Amino acid sequence: MNARIFALIVAMIGMLVASGIPASNGRGAPVPTLSIVSPTPNAVMGNGTPVAVVFAVTNFNLTEPGNGTSSPNSGHVDVFVDGALTAKASVNTIVLALPSGPHTIRLRLVTDNGSALNPDITASVAVMATRGPAGGTPGLSIVFPREGALVGTDSTLSFRVTNFVLVAPGGPAGVPNEGHVQVRLDTARYAELTDDAPLHLNLKDGPHTVTLQLVDNEGGPLNPDVSVSLHLTVQALLGRVTPFDATPYLALANLLIGLGILAAIYRKLEAH
Amino acid sequence: MARAPTRLAPTPSSPGRAAMLGLSVLIGIFLVVVTSPHAAAAGPSLSILAPANDQVIGNGTPLIVSFAVGNFVLVQPGRVGQVASAAEGHVDLYVDGLYSRLLTRVEPVLLPLDSGPHTIRLQLVQDNGTPLSPDVSASVRVVATHGPAVGTPTITIVSPKPGPTIAHDVYFAVEVTNFTLVDSYGQPNASNEGHVQLFLNGVFNQEPRAYDLGFIVDMPDGSNTVTARLVNNDNTPLNPDASASVTIRILGAPDPTGSEQVTGGLSLILALILVVLLLRRRKAARRVSLPNEDP
Repeated sequence: MNARIFALIVAMIGMLVASGIPASNGRGAPVPTLSIVSPTPNAVMGNGTPVAVVFAVTNFNLTEPGNGTSSPNSGHVDVFVDGALTAKASVNTIVLALPSGPHTIRLRLVTDNGSALNPDITASVAVMATRGPAGGTPGLSIVFPREGALVGTDSTLSFRVTNFVLVAPGGPAGVPNEGHVQVRLDTARYAELTDDAPLHLNLKDGPHTVTLQLVDNEGGPLNPDVSVSLHLTVQALLGRVTPFDATPYLALANLLIGLGILAAIYRKLEAH
Repeated sequence: MARAPTRLAPTPSSPGRAAMLGLSVLIGIFLVVVTSPHAAAAGPSLSILAPANDQVIGNGTPLIVSFAVGNFVLVQPGRVGQVASAAEGHVDLYVDGLYSRLLTRVEPVLLPLDSGPHTIRLQLVQDNGTPLSPDVSASVRVVATHGPAVGTPTITIVSPKPGPTIAHDVYFAVEVTNFTLVDSYGQPNASNEGHVQLFLNGVFNQEPRAYDLGFIVDMPDGSNTVTARLVNNDNTPLNPDASASVTIRILGAPDPTGSEQVTGGLSLILALILVVLLLRRRKAARRVSLPNEDP
């Protein structure tokens, strides 16, 4: 009896194995995969342009969300930017507008009803967005006035910035090719410039040194440092023409003549 | 003189030769049919419908790429049970050689582009990403600009007007047409886009911010000519040059001639009065002294 029951159990187990019921899902349908083709990890996305994320899937049919067909091998992709659900994608390219700073883009395959696959299938990539150019070495130059120039009390200083975009301070740290300009006058901090409008100077007579320096969003110098200095000499009323005016002298002469007239009249009256 | 008999070419008279001739004709027809372009199955094709080559994409608008695909089925890569085939796949889009988009639908693609020249290339690839053999791709060159796509740039100084002024610090306002002003940070040149340079008496003075006023301070007394010039992003002048000038006369300290004349005239009158008084006094003194001398 025991032998017959044992043989029956063995036969049932054999039938189950043969039927494939205890086999994993992997044997039935291949497990989907997800990978990010573009952008590459730690890519710098320049000029504030949106980021086109291209991803590839295998063994997974991308369908429009909400089409009602729920299957572990079909659905769409949830797109997370810095942990927040940002978009749903049913095509292999999605365009994301990102503010300046480091970002993590994470994609997750989900079924049509939005539930994650089991096991969870995700892919992520870290990128850096900047309003400045993606590449190139920042440059800074003073184009007016020239080194050693003699200027008046009021003057303007024009400068040029290359491969660097001027933005208001306080943005995220570590963003390449964006920041602002710090101005030092005779080693003392003078101004912070967030655009390339000419700098207006109002200086006392004498020699001065103006230094411009590119700094990042936190106010720190770039690496390598980008700065430029200019030596000026200020002279008040430079270029003003002051003509000779004899009026005060003539007025003094009038006064003296008037006194003479008064004296003459007085003497005349006295003589009478 | 005896002539040697001429040997003539043998004529095909046997059945074997006729069969060979017929076979040759059949093979020829077969080869002609096989190599005929009409008989060969048309291969995949890809063409860019828009934009046209070297088209200028103006006003900072995104580029819209329209394309057509023939004899090729666009499908999502990586579908369940997909088998690689040379007749189906997708389109890879590259901007300036960098991979940008994976396209599975024949619909216009919106591409935001920075100012400057760009090359857009589309390529048909199989589901596994390998290019077709032979390669099927199409490319187009465009120039993106924030300025208008057409038109000749002009610049006019609208303020100040030519003539005298007493101010040594003067704002300058310009008006431009067919040109868009952008702040320069080293970006590539693009048509009808750039910034303004101001020159004081022929010497470079400043580059006002885009759509901002120029402000030249502490100008010297006398006539000053200010020239405003449109330049490209790399500070080179446009071709043809677009510039405008205005001459203003800065009046220095007030002219003292008038007050000098008035004061001097008064001095003269007073001096005359004094002289008359002195002469009359002397005459009176002489009159008084004469009677004393008579006795």
